[in-house]
Amino acid sequence: MKKTFAFILALVMVFSLALAGCGGSSKPAETKPAETKPAETKPAETKPAEPAAAGGTLKIWVPEATVSLTEKLVDKFMADHPEYAGFEVTVQPVGEGDAASNMLTDLDAGADIFNFAQDQLARLVSAGALIELSEENAAAVTAENNPDAVAAATMAGTMYAYPLTADNGYFLYYDKSVVTDPTSLEKILADCEAAGKGFYMEINSGWYQPAFFFGAGCTLTYDTDDASNFTKCNIDYASDKGVGALKAMINLAKSPNFHNGSSMSNATDPAAIVDGTWDATSAKEAFGDNYACTKLPTVEINGTATQLGGFTGFKLLGVKPQTDETKLAMCDELALYLAGEEAQVARYNEANWGPSNLAAQNDPAVQADVALAALREQIAFDIPQGQYPGDYWSLATSLGDSVIAGEYNDADDAALLAVLQTFQDTCISYAK
Amino acid sequence: MARRRKIANAVCYVVLILLSIIWLFPFVALVLQSFRGENSGMVSYLVPKQWSMANYRFLFGSGSKFLKWYGNTLIIALVVAVCQTMVVICVSYALSRMRFQGRKLLMNIWLVLGMFPGFLTMICLYYLLKQMGLTEAGAVPGLILISVASSGMGYYVCKGYFDTIPRALDEAAILDGATRAQILTKMIIPMSKPIIIYTALVAFMGPWCDYIFASYVAFGHEDSYNVAVAMTRWVWTNDYQGYFTRFCAGGILVAIPVTILFMCLQKYYVSGVTGGAVKG
Amino acid sequence: MENYQVPERSGISRFFHWLGNDLKDIGGTFVRGDWRTKLSYIIMGFGQLLRGQYVRGLALLALQTLCNYFIFGFGWTYLKNILTLGTVATQKVNRVTVFGDNSFLILLYGLLTVIVILALLYLWRLNLRQNKEAEGILAEGRRLPTNRSDLHSLLDKNFDKTLLALPVLGIFVFTVLPIIFMICIAFTNYDANHQPPANLFTWVGLQNFKELFGIGGTGFGGTFFYVLGWTLTWAFFATFLTYFLGMAVAILINKKGIKLKKLWRTILVMTIAVPQFVSLLYVGKMFATDGLVNGYLLKWGWIQSAIPFWDNATYARILIIVINLWIGIPYTMLIVTGLLMNIPAELYESARIDGAKPFQTFWYITLPYMLFVTGPFLLTQFIGNLNNFNVIFLLNRGRPQSMSLSNNAGATDLLVTWLYKMTINDSNYRIAAVIGIMVFVVTAVISLIVYNAIPSVRDEEGFQ
Repeated sequence: MKKTFAFILALVMVFSLALAGCGGSSKPAETKPAETKPAETKPAETKPAEPAAAGGTLKIWVPEATVSLTEKLVDKFMADHPEYAGFEVTVQPVGEGDAASNMLTDLDAGADIFNFAQDQLARLVSAGALIELSEENAAAVTAENNPDAVAAATMAGTMYAYPLTADNGYFLYYDKSVVTDPTSLEKILADCEAAGKGFYMEINSGWYQPAFFFGAGCTLTYDTDDASNFTKCNIDYASDKGVGALKAMINLAKSPNFHNGSSMSNATDPAAIVDGTWDATSAKEAFGDNYACTKLPTVEINGTATQLGGFTGFKLLGVKPQTDETKLAMCDELALYLAGEEAQVARYNEANWGPSNLAAQNDPAVQADVALAALREQIAFDIPQGQYPGDYWSLATSLGDSVIAGEYNDADDAALLAVLQTFQDTCISYAK
Repeated sequence: MARRRKIANAVCYVVLILLSIIWLFPFVALVLQSFRGENSGMVSYLVPKQWSMANYRFLFGSGSKFLKWYGNTLIIALVVAVCQTMVVICVSYALSRMRFQGRKLLMNIWLVLGMFPGFLTMICLYYLLKQMGLTEAGAVPGLILISVASSGMGYYVCKGYFDTIPRALDEAAILDGATRAQILTKMIIPMSKPIIIYTALVAFMGPWCDYIFASYVAFGHEDSYNVAVAMTRWVWTNDYQGYFTRFCAGGILVAIPVTILFMCLQKYYVSGVTGGAVKG
Repeated sequence: MENYQVPERSGISRFFHWLGNDLKDIGGTFVRGDWRTKLSYIIMGFGQLLRGQYVRGLALLALQTLCNYFIFGFGWTYLKNILTLGTVATQKVNRVTVFGDNSFLILLYGLLTVIVILALLYLWRLNLRQNKEAEGILAEGRRLPTNRSDLHSLLDKNFDKTLLALPVLGIFVFTVLPIIFMICIAFTNYDANHQPPANLFTWVGLQNFKELFGIGGTGFGGTFFYVLGWTLTWAFFATFLTYFLGMAVAILINKKGIKLKKLWRTILVMTIAVPQFVSLLYVGKMFATDGLVNGYLLKWGWIQSAIPFWDNATYARILIIVINLWIGIPYTMLIVTGLLMNIPAELYESARIDGAKPFQTFWYITLPYMLFVTGPFLLTQFIGNLNNFNVIFLLNRGRPQSMSLSNNAGATDLLVTWLYKMTINDSNYRIAAVIGIMVFVVTAVISLIVYNAIPSVRDEEGFQ
């Protein structure tokens, strides 16, 4: 009796074993991680995921300042597009830097539409985190936006993102009561030293640093090929112009009132700061009635007063690669809307982001903005920011840190040239 | 002679007062900054010109999810404290009292494992948790799981303490007919109160500081952040201008429960640290 | 010495000896076992069930079903690709993406499946051993242990298995697996250009190691040794300065004639309680060129221009060590205080009677005792400081960087912070994995050497 019972029990187990084996091998869906519906990784979502039907979840990542605005825009979009009613859209506050690095960590769980800064474009494209724009969208965006903004979103002739702003450039905020002549860097420094206040510029950032070099007439750009690889680096930092620019930078760093930084709220007692439009509110709060802004000053390079140059950069909106056609269509339309004229004007009104859309730029409120006016003045001397390999930014930090630390304070021209030569060679080596 | 001793003592007191100032200074500064009303960014002076509770009101108000993050961290800390203590007691008892094949091997392997830096493993753990659905919205259980699962490796202090309990007690209990389980629950645990409190305290303090792994696991889902992730965002990204004083206020709020607990349970902490940590 | 060689050889040969015996045992059990045992080779627990040992049989059978389910239902799809790490690339069909193989998941779940297979093999071996035992007992005419006694032993004789099962499982899945994974990554080319799921990565052997140690110009190799040098220097100073100064503070507070001992200790100990990311971030900002310290020094006229604490490599290093003292002294002080109470007072008495000055008491009695007892502790602290991420990263993020260092290393970077920056900023996982292995090697070597050399281990009696 006991034996028969045990025998039957064992048979049952074997049977279930076989079943498990068979059942296991008929699950090809496990191999396609992309088909893991978003609902699986977010147990909190209650929408049942329907494959390839008009339903699902869509996630959007934008910086905190624009979250409520984006939600309003999305609601309007959904009202206008009933065919996408089956989709549930969530907007989460994730800053631009975090958004890019999160997408790189895990593409599958990342947002479908996200904000990022232009310098991450190369990294995102090579990791396959961006889907290129459809032909109609690309044509529309190219026609309606600032051409430099379009170029910033393009790699090797293909557009990978939608431009959102054209205000990622920097200029000078200053305290009118301290700085009497904002046209010359030397005079600004003298005023700051006399008043005991600080002059802020982030010279160890690969973004602010070229102000000196571009002003002196040097170039630093990268060419890319169809597969978004960097093929060639066009750089001539290792030259007399470069040495002059580097010396000007060293002189700036020698000043006791110079501080390395570009954030208004991290600055104590600033009188002048090289910063961008995102800090306009903080600058107004700190300077009060003495708030003023203008283009960057001139600096003495090799004996002549040279205008400082810079980058104009752009913020972009990206869409991640989709596996479902309906969802892809929806993302295309939604992204186009979120980057369109209406949205850009709304963003200016809400968060002071200068638009890249040409019609939006002519909006009277935008035109009247003092900070944007200063930026417009400076743009004439800037080059639009192109694509740079991620390593370049860290290399520039090394150069800036070396200058700030005083490593080159007593170096002669030949030594400076050697440093720039190393810098140049390393930049070239990043384009393989 | 007595005079010399008095002077020596006076010098000692001066040194001690200096040390106390140095040690307390940053916290006093933090408290002062958190009450600053004007200019919520950085300033170069210490005492606020305008005292205000605005920063604290912001944290408790509806404009910020600070209370949710605080709650998250509190839950994680409490659950981890309880579970981790249980795991450590079990492991320490097994390794200290029982002899089985592979015991030395296991202890050596764990020792070696502890020498690997943990950073690359974070992305691995993220994917494992994701497979189980414990990321983003499920980040809080995910963090608890990871903390508890690996906690068995931190058995040194507890085991050291158990080793000092004489075996004779165990043997007497076995002669009386007790099982090993009963020895653990009825005899060893009541005798180890200091070490258990120490383990729980250390386990409680851990999750408050986790700003790297927690941000991996939460993956942009704001409701699942813990205070460390949320507050480091305020200081490190450019999206949050003028949040510095709020950071100070948040820091004080985070420090309070841990500090109070620590003050009350200080003597257990000391006995744990001297008893177990020293023997290695 | 000849004797030193022998243990090594017999270790390896002992392993093979054991393996050979084990295999012989497996074969023998099959040949000599009855039909129940033979069937148990395929269906684990079968023999036990038929002999009435339900608990053991059911447990083994359940575990086998679970493992099989996992391996065939989930793991096999990843494991079969583990040698190639994926061959099907991601494609786009009219802008709709069709994802191919995911190298990362293949490696991760493949390794997990390997662990499950090993666990299954262990259980299978256990199963055979139990069958052999049971047969032997029955052949001798004795009774088999009842189910109730099996369950009871879980709380008694086999309590260790009950206690350790879940923790060991947790550690294997959540600690061992990621570490093995990381070691494997060091042999692949997983970096920014080979990022799944859009791209595949594959095995490349020792190439990454060659790249790391390639010395030449500002190549990787030079920077690696530079960072390693600072890591060791930092760990040394951080550990020993904190230790001796902590001891000094503890002795100071402990001195006869000082009142309010508890108060002084509590004030110092507060730093342990406050979370580091709050205190360190704030202290870091305090020392910036426009921070509090420089602000007040300038105001009082002690200096002419702000001291670049965080921008000058030497200043930054010294400042980091000093701030670490602020963090570490309370901890050391606690330990030393506890231990000071244990030194027998008679030693001090007799020393005083002999006319020893306080310094001599310290040098000849207190110090040797401390060093002896806290030897292992110092070693753990040193190892911990080698990997002390928080202090370095929160204060200055490893800056200042410099043109003479490659791959964005900074003058205050430890190997771990360099590693972290590499993964976050450049997605250079393969090199980071190699550095991780190197950190482990350094740590292990130092541990082994020091642990065997310190007197506490070698010479416990001689100390007295």
